[in-house]
This record gives sequence, structure tokens and C-alpha cells, in this order.
Amino acid sequence: MQDDKAPITRQKFIEELLRYRKGSVTRRHFLGVTGLGTAMAVMGGAMPLLSPRRAFAQDIGGEVVLATWPNYHDPANFDAFAAETGAAVQVNVFGSNEEMLAKLQAGGSGWDVFVPTNYTITTYVDADLIEPLDLSKLPNYDAAAFEARFADAGTVGGKLYAVPKNWGTTGMAWDSSKAKAPFTSWKEFFDVTMTDFSGRTMVHDYQLTTIGNALKYFGYSFNSIDAKELADAEKLLIDVKPHLFAITSDYQPAMRNGDAWLTMCWTGEGKQLNRDIPEIQFAVGKEGGEIWSDYYAIPKNAPHRDAAYALINYLIDPQVNAKEALAHGFPVADSRVNALLPPELLADPILHPAAELLNALEFGAAVTLTDPNRAELMARFKSA
Amino acid sequence: MAISRHKARLLLLGPAGLWYAALLVLPLAVVLVYSFGERAAAGGYAPAFTLAQYANLGSRWAAFKNTLVLAPAGTLAALLIAYPLAYFLAVRVNPKWRTALLVLVIVPFWTSILIRSYAWIYLLGGRGIPTLLADLGLGDWRLINTPFAVLVGIVYGYLPLMVFPVYVSLEKLDKRLLEAAADLGAPPWRSFLQVTLPLSLPGVATGSMLVFILLMGEYLIPQMLGGGKVFFVGNALVDLFLQSRNWAFGSAMSVTLVATMLVVVTLYMRFLKRIGAARDDIGVM
Amino acid sequence: MTAPTRGEDESQAPVIAEFVDTTKRFGDIVAAERLNLQIRRGEFLSFLGPSGCGKTTALRMLAGLETPTEGRILIDGQDMGDAPAHRRPVNMVFQQYALFPHMTVAENVGYGLRQRRPRMDRAEIARRVDRALETVRLSDFGPRRIWQMSGGQQQRVALARAIVNEPKVLLLDEPMAALDAKLRGEMQMELLSLQRVLGITFILVTHDQQEALSMSDRICLMGQGRIVQIGTPRDLYDRPANRYAAGFVGSANMLDATVQSTADGQARVALADGSSVTVFSAGDRAAGDRVAIAVRPEALRLSVSDSVDAGATGFAATITHKTFLGEHIECLLHHPVLGQLQVNVPRQAERSLPGADVGRTVHVLWDHGSGLILGQD
Repeated sequence: MQDDKAPITRQKFIEELLRYRKGSVTRRHFLGVTGLGTAMAVMGGAMPLLSPRRAFAQDIGGEVVLATWPNYHDPANFDAFAAETGAAVQVNVFGSNEEMLAKLQAGGSGWDVFVPTNYTITTYVDADLIEPLDLSKLPNYDAAAFEARFADAGTVGGKLYAVPKNWGTTGMAWDSSKAKAPFTSWKEFFDVTMTDFSGRTMVHDYQLTTIGNALKYFGYSFNSIDAKELADAEKLLIDVKPHLFAITSDYQPAMRNGDAWLTMCWTGEGKQLNRDIPEIQFAVGKEGGEIWSDYYAIPKNAPHRDAAYALINYLIDPQVNAKEALAHGFPVADSRVNALLPPELLADPILHPAAELLNALEFGAAVTLTDPNRAELMARFKSA
Repeated sequence: MAISRHKARLLLLGPAGLWYAALLVLPLAVVLVYSFGERAAAGGYAPAFTLAQYANLGSRWAAFKNTLVLAPAGTLAALLIAYPLAYFLAVRVNPKWRTALLVLVIVPFWTSILIRSYAWIYLLGGRGIPTLLADLGLGDWRLINTPFAVLVGIVYGYLPLMVFPVYVSLEKLDKRLLEAAADLGAPPWRSFLQVTLPLSLPGVATGSMLVFILLMGEYLIPQMLGGGKVFFVGNALVDLFLQSRNWAFGSAMSVTLVATMLVVVTLYMRFLKRIGAARDDIGVM
Repeated sequence: MTAPTRGEDESQAPVIAEFVDTTKRFGDIVAAERLNLQIRRGEFLSFLGPSGCGKTTALRMLAGLETPTEGRILIDGQDMGDAPAHRRPVNMVFQQYALFPHMTVAENVGYGLRQRRPRMDRAEIARRVDRALETVRLSDFGPRRIWQMSGGQQQRVALARAIVNEPKVLLLDEPMAALDAKLRGEMQMELLSLQRVLGITFILVTHDQQEALSMSDRICLMGQGRIVQIGTPRDLYDRPANRYAAGFVGSANMLDATVQSTADGQARVALADGSSVTVFSAGDRAAGDRVAIAVRPEALRLSVSDSVDAGATGFAATITHKTFLGEHIECLLHHPVLGQLQVNVPRQAERSLPGADVGRTVHVLWDHGSGLILGQD
């Protein structure tokens, strides 16, 4: 997951709005789930002191704190976990990996479990912010059930630091009623933006994908930090800027109400848009682009370590994980889970692109995220 | 006697002084020091003494330009809308309804600016006002994600902050002064220009300052209604601290923003003094 | 200080302002009811009465700051109708002066002249402002700020700001209320001489009977929204129309009486104790009428001897209070039938009253012809 990877749908937004108005959730929670700010949220069962403690087989404490992305879990699973173990799950919702990193770097986060994206894990290891996982406490983890590309970022220096949660792609979504032909490449994405779709296209407010996809226009690597290649991408972005509708990671509202016709788009949201409005189609660029994978990890000094292991172990239980997947809709890397999911979900071309398309995609690299030149390029683009 | 009074004064000033030191001077000092530093390799701040960050300010010129155009424009627009409203509330409205109407002015503040901005996204978006304009045959308008949309958003968001100071200065205006002006031969519009307006300038000044200073640091409204294309200094700062995590450059920009504000505010105060709104003259009576 | 007696001259002068059946209601409250009054050019007229009597409303209707609900207002023969304040040839000195705090003294004074259309020449405005400031003895104060001026000076600025426009009528709304007693006396003198110099009609609103008596050519006494009595200060004092007038202007002993006989504007009336006195009688009275009579405390005398002069009626009464008030001594006496009587004894008469102390029974002497029969309230 990256910046606002699953920003909220309009319907969900309205639901959250109503909850917020009723006072049943806090403003911070509202900010968090709408993907608009760093947020801390207290969700169901987050008041353990009020519910009497029962006797449990193994005492792991009364609570466990999870830092994750918006709309990325089935709350019923948390309730079941609390009922089973006595530990209530307190959820903190985040908008970007940078914010997560900043929070952990600042110290005292109080998190027990968090959900980093593949390319950030080495940074966490280098900064000594996470600890290797003790597999004896994760009996539900089966390395053999995972395709290597979705799992290997969890291992750094031979040690396992994180286990896979979900994966996805970054492609483009467009309104097919406005397009002359289906989009198939990032070249078309930017070229049509400067012609037929002028004023109707959105790019992410996120350097990794916006610069990465601009690099793909020229056939460069998504992860390039080469000065010349970045200069080409910058020129393209600056040329395209006057034709953009917006630079935003909250692109669903504009797509849904017809203000925008084309956007960079993360898998899950492409699926959501397509499900609600069939004219909106989704594809990954044939030149390539991003594929990503999210993991569960435990920060150093987690206050409830036993509960952290128990929660991860619970959530990666194939039965539980299948329920999670049905709730949030993102592809799962665990073959045991896929065996439990409906076949049409696995056959969906949005969630599971054809192999040749998938193979062209690249995982984001750690340096892609931390490279100061890419950050500066993005800033110049936005303030141009 | 003089000494003990001096001591007492120091004692009384103590808490206020600490407050200023802790909440104003100290953070500003940190920001100033950081602004001469460098970005650490993995982001953040690394100690150094360099003017490189200041030399790089030009790369954010557009953000400064947008802010320095839209903040004063927003302030002026808010004033032009707030003044008649405040005048209506303070002078024209039956006092029976006044409190209720004043509360209505604040009601939007009970809801998060975020939600209200979302409302504007839909209002200014393709299916909102532009559809209406098109149906009326007034042509094809793109409103959302333009500087105009940002202007609408900031005027809407900050209107109450302008209404209240102006209202207070109009409300405490001695109505007999207007009677005196009328008695001396001034028709209503002239007594407004010659008496009401000058005497309400302190409220205008307060409201404008308040709105202007907040607008200079604004980032949420440009982000939401400008579609990330109308970029304020505030947006540049958010990116620098939260995305690229270049604290040194962010600090240099903050220092520049504060300095710019100080200059503008000083010029404004001087201007106000020159047009005869010196506080002393109006404070009495 | 003596009141000017120019009453007769004014009655010849043309009418400058007139109320004709003028009524003003605020919702259910009648602030002024069917006022009928003519004000003559050059006259100094005071509206006198307690707060809420309608005197300020009357003034504000003249200024155009209130519109009559019924009836008319005429200024210099012109029906003012709905003419707004800024089109009326009158100017007002406001109660708290209402000076413009953001202007200098000179700017305040010149404000009215600057409103003239076509515009008045700047040098001419300056000249007139200087002259007005000179008139109120503030020649060097032009550049000052209002808040640098004392209360008395502010009052004069307000005056200058009004007279500089040479209004047909100058309206003064309790202009001295905010000044201390000494300053008030001086300002009253200044106002009077100013009026004589300028020859402008002055209409003063005041609740201070002393002020009204000392300054006015005529007083219009008001009560509960109506005009109670109009007359010279002497008329009001010597011939109060009713109990209200007698009580509001000066003090009076008011007694019930029965008419015995009338002749030549005088009446012989019997008091409750059976004694009779001769009083002034304005209206038609017949023997047997029950009336109220009034007599001023200074019209009564005290005597320590038992003999009563031929031209007076005597009442034996006991002194209950004696209050020294400088020029006279105020004595309160108790009479078993008539109740309390007030007699003001002049200083020089005190010497002829040895032993007239509290507790002593003395004679109150009522000269024939003192006092009058009051009209209906």
C-alpha cells in the first residue's frame, strides 16, 4: 500500500460522514479513513477497560495496536479475535508510507503490528526500527504458499522481518464512453492527456507512481534515479501539467461524477470503480509499471509483543484471510487463501492481469522512495 | 517602592514571557537553525551551515506567487462579502434575531473544513454549478481545480473570521454619530463613508490580519479545491516535511514565509495608520 | 441671575417652527400625543419635564430623527413631511455631544459645511470654522483631537459644530447634563449670551427646572407625552396650571378647599379647618365648588406672636423640621387638620422669629391674594 492506496469510495465517505456527524467516530478517525490525513482511530471494541476480562487460554494482554491502511480489513475479524483472545484491536489508519516511517522514527508510536509496503522494509531494517519475526509464534505462516515475488521483500539479510498481506498493481482507469480506444500504455496515457483528454486526467500526488509512470513513457525503469532519465520525465510532467485535471491521490470522486475521464489508479480502486460504473475500465501499462506487496511487521519495542504475534497469526489464517479478502477486495498472495476464494475473483482481469502484463511490472525499490532528487522533482512539478 | 513595583511587574510578566519563549521564540529559533542545515541522507535534518536552502527558494517561486496573489485576494473578497453581512447584522437586524443570525454565521465552523470543502468539490464540479450555467445557456465553465475554486473555498472557509471583528466594531459604533452626521446634512451613503467606515476600520484591520495570516499558511483548501494544481507555500511545506522529508529546505521556506508575512503585515499597518485609523484616535469615546 | 423678559417681543415675531396635532407612537407606547405648539423666531424655548415625558421625542421630530405618527411639523412655514434629517434647516447639540472621534476639532466643526452641495469653497469653510470656534472661545483648539478636550470644551465644540451652519433653529438636547454644577452655570450664561448675539431660535430640552426657568423666554412643560402648560417662566411659577405643574416647577403647598365666593379673578375659599383664604382664580368658579389650591412656601410667613395682620389668615402649627439652605430656611410644620405645610423663611426675616425652634407652635400667615386655584390635571 502506498499513499492513499485505497482512498475511500464516495459511498463509504458518506457513511463515514454520517458516523462522524453522529459522533460515533472522532474527527481524526474520519480524516484517517477518508485517506486525507495522518489519523489515529479507535474502532469497535477499542475500550477494553469497559468490558470485563474473561479467562483465556493464554493471557496476551487486553489490547493490541495495529497501524494499517484505510479499508484494509474486515472489522468482524477483529471482534472475533478479541472474543477469542481477550485482546481488543486498536486500529491506527495511515495515508502514506512516509507518514508511517516518520511516526516510527519519532519513537513512542505504541504500535504492535503495522503494514509496510515492500520497498520500505529495508529502510526500516537499516534504521533498526523493526525486529526479525519468530516463526515459532506464527504457525499459520507457510512460506511455500507464496510466490517468491510477493514474499521475498520480507526477508532482509537472510532474516525474515515481514510476512505478506496483499498485493496489487498501479495502472490507469478511464471512462470508456469518452475514449476512442481502450488505453493500453503509459505512452497513450500521457499523449491522450495532452490532446483529446486535456483537462480530464489525474495523476497521483505521489512521486513513486507519478514519476515512475512518466519514466515508463520513455521505456525507462519505473525505479530510475538516473539524472538524465529523470530530466526527461520532468519535462514530460511539466508539459502535461496544464492539461491535468488534478494532481491527487483522492481520484475516485472526480472519476465518479464525470469531471475527470482518466486517472492513475491502484488495483483495488480500479475494481471498485469498475464494479460501480462499468464504463470505467482499468488496465496496467504494457510497458510496465508498478506492482506492490504489503506485509505485516512488528516494530522494535512493541508494547504487546505476544498480542502482536497472536494477531498476525490470526489474520494470516487462510480462513480468516479469505474473509479479509472478500471484505477489501485486494488480491492475496497466499495460495491457500486463493483456494478458498470464488473463482471469478481470481479470473478478474483487473485484479489478476495477464501474465505477460504482470511480468513487465516492477516492484518499487527502497531508493525510489528515499531518493531526494525524485522528491525534489515531484515538488518542482507540483509548484510549476 | 519603585523596586518592589518593578519586581511585581516582572513577576506578572513572567508567565506571559515563558509562554512566548516556549511557544513562539523557541520553535522559531529551531526552524531558523534548521534552515541553515542540510537534508539527511534518509530524510530529516543534518547539521550544517549553508545558504543552499535559501538559494533553492526560487524552485518554489510558483508557490510563493500563488500564496501572495490568492491570500490578499481572498482577504479582500472575504472583506467585501463580510462587511455588508456584518453591517446588516450590527445595524439593520432586529436585535431580537441578532443572536440567532450570529450563531448561524458560526454554524459552519461546527463541521470540519474538510467536509465543507468536499461539499464545494461537488458544487463546483462538473455536475454542480457548471451544469446549471450550461443549462442557462451561459457556456461551458470549468470551476473545480482552478484558482477561482480555491478563492471560493478560502472566502467561504474564513468568512466568519472576518465577519466577527467587523461586526464588533460596527456594533459598538455610537449610533448617535450617524444621527449627528444626518443632522449636519450628510445623506446616509455619505455618513456611511465619512463616519461608519472609518470608525469600523479597526475591525476591518483585525479581520483582514487574521484572515490574511491564516491564508498565508493555508494548504488544505488549495489541496482539495485546487486539485493539487493551485499550490500554496503551505502545500510546499507539507510536501517537504511529510513527503520528501527535507526539513532543512522546509525550514528555510518557513522562515521566508514568516519574513514575508512580517513585511506584508508591517506595510499594511503603516497603510492603515496613514489613512487615519490609528488606534488611539478611535479607542477613546 | 434673572430670567430675561422678552416675552412680549416674541409674540410679535413670526412663527419659525410649529407642531400641529403631532403624535408619535412607538408600538403601543405614546411618546408624544397631539402636540400643538408654535415657536417664534429668535425665541428661547425649553421643553421641560421628567424623563419619558416626550420632550426629547418632540425635539427629535423637529430634527427629523423621528417621523411623527400623526400630525405635522412645520419649519419656517414649510411642512417637513417625511423630509429626512439631512434636508432640514435645523441643527442639534446632542446629549453626549456625539462628536466624531476620528476627526479633529476643526474637522468636526466644519463637517456640516462640507456636506453642502454645491460644495463650499475650502477657504470659506476654514474661515467660518475659525469664526465659530472663536464664538465658543476655542480659537486655538482646531487641530486638537476630540479626546484631548475636556467635557466643557467638547460641549462647546458640539455647539460650534451646530451654529456654524447658521440653522434656523438650534436644538439642544440636555446639553448641560454631563457637566458639573459650576460648569453648567457658566455654560448656561454663555448659551444665553450666544443666543442674543446670534439671534437664532433655541429650543432646549431639559429636566432641570432651574435651567428652564433661568434661560427660557417660554417654557413648554410636558408630562406623559402631552403639553401640560406653555408660558413664560413667571407664568409657570406664579400661575401653574394644575397640581403637576405646581409640583414640578418649584415646590408648593397643595390643599383641598371649597369655593365660598368669587370676584375679580379672586376667590374666597374655605379650607378643611374652616378658615378661609383669598386666592387667585383663573377659571369660572361657583360657590360650593371643590377645588385644589396651591401656595408657594415663600409666599407664607411665620409669626411667633398671636396677632394676625388684617390682610392675612393665620394657622397655628408646630415646627417639625428646620433646614438651613443659605439664602432661606426651609421650615416644615404640622397642622392638626391641614397636615404638613412648608414655609421658606428668608434669612433677614429669621431675626424677627426668636425661639421659633423645632417643637414650638407658631403661626403660619397666609396673605390674601397669595396662592391660586389649580386646574384639573
